[in-house]
Amino acid sequence: MGTAISLDLATDLPAAVLRTLADDTFRWLREVDARFTTYREDSEVRRLDRGELPPAGASADLRAVLARCADLWADTDGFFDAYATGRLDPSGYVKGWAAQVASDRLVAAGAVDHCLNAGGDVRVRGHSSSGRPWRIGVRHPWDADATCLVLTGTDLAVATSGVYERGHHVLDPRRGVPARGLRSVTVVGPDLGVADAYATAAVAMGVAGVGWLDRLPGHLHAVVTDDGRLLRSTALPLAD
Amino acid sequence: MRRALLAITGLAAGTTALVVLKGAPEDRQVARELPVGVPVGTPDRTGPATPGATPQRTAATPRPTGQPSSTAGRTPAARRTTPGGDAGTRRTPAAGRTTAPKPTTRTVTGPVVSTEFGNVQVRITVAGTRIVDAVALELPQGGQSDLRSDRVDAAYSGTSGDVVRQQGANLDTVSQATATSDGYRRSLQAALDQAR
Repeated sequence: MGTAISLDLATDLPAAVLRTLADDTFRWLREVDARFTTYREDSEVRRLDRGELPPAGASADLRAVLARCADLWADTDGFFDAYATGRLDPSGYVKGWAAQVASDRLVAAGAVDHCLNAGGDVRVRGHSSSGRPWRIGVRHPWDADATCLVLTGTDLAVATSGVYERGHHVLDPRRGVPARGLRSVTVVGPDLGVADAYATAAVAMGVAGVGWLDRLPGHLHAVVTDDGRLLRSTALPLAD
Repeated sequence: MRRALLAITGLAAGTTALVVLKGAPEDRQVARELPVGVPVGTPDRTGPATPGATPQRTAATPRPTGQPSSTAGRTPAARRTTPGGDAGTRRTPAAGRTTAPKPTTRTVTGPVVSTEFGNVQVRITVAGTRIVDAVALELPQGGQSDLRSDRVDAAYSGTSGDVVRQQGANLDTVSQATATSDGYRRSLQAALDQAR
């Protein structure tokens, strides 16, 4: 995936335990990267897409991911599309899903207070080492050094999709052209993979994505439009 | 401004159609640029030729048809005058077309459409095959979108949007669109990781 992962373990556990948990987390995320990346021709995803790997021979993880991508395609009226580029690329869901799985495993292992950031997708649980709920900034679309919102909570999945720089884009899979209208979409919910897919779908929808997000059950959102407006759910858990 | 936002959320499908129908890009370019040089509130611009057009409504209508992003800093008052200029400038070519065959101009009023935000009704004026004016006769008021409307720069300059280098201790992490490794090196998250 070529992204940076940051893990903050705040539960008071023996240092050796914390180190093992951190190692396990990073090993899992590296493994997912190797199997699901579209940048290496020998990855499971690429082999499946080329037809070298029969669908029945795919791993349980890959089959589960493809099933979820199909669900998300339906949930988003086709705007989340793992085949948007013409070949299989489930990374819009995989990154959040992998981080969500890692976070669930940390909870199961007793590390109930942690903050995991996988390339900008954030899963927080419990409290930071300062004892207060985690504080998550949302990057300002026009200033990499600033945030435009600060969220706070003890059990949040926060995913942001968007376009910050020229040349990058989110594809509108229905028309096959770069989506316009929304610069940045942040979705807050219980599952990081789903939140990331919803954020990507909303960007692909363009301005209509705001209304779609507004009707999305169980999720909250913040949107920055191309003309610099910030629209957000009134119930969004803002810090201060 | 608020009403304009409602038009965006409530009329998303409708405005898309209008953009497509409005004709050549250069036509829109003229419409955008001219009003900037015209003083706000010049008397001869206050009378749009559309009979019966409600000025308040016209203010809201053309907004969603794609203002350039550079309008972010404009005051609400300045934005309101733009659509009036729009209507005026678009009519200018028609006025100069006296020797050409006169295009038939007709006005069509659409049905009242109920949306979850309220009723919407639009009237368009068509000259020949081109829509030269669009007026929202009825638009919803209030609603959650109204409450949510805010400028990102307002949040930016407020406490929650301060440059984080100065208040990094208050942030644990940063959510952002997928960052490449190069993007990460220049990101806030990298700074936060380093500060630990």
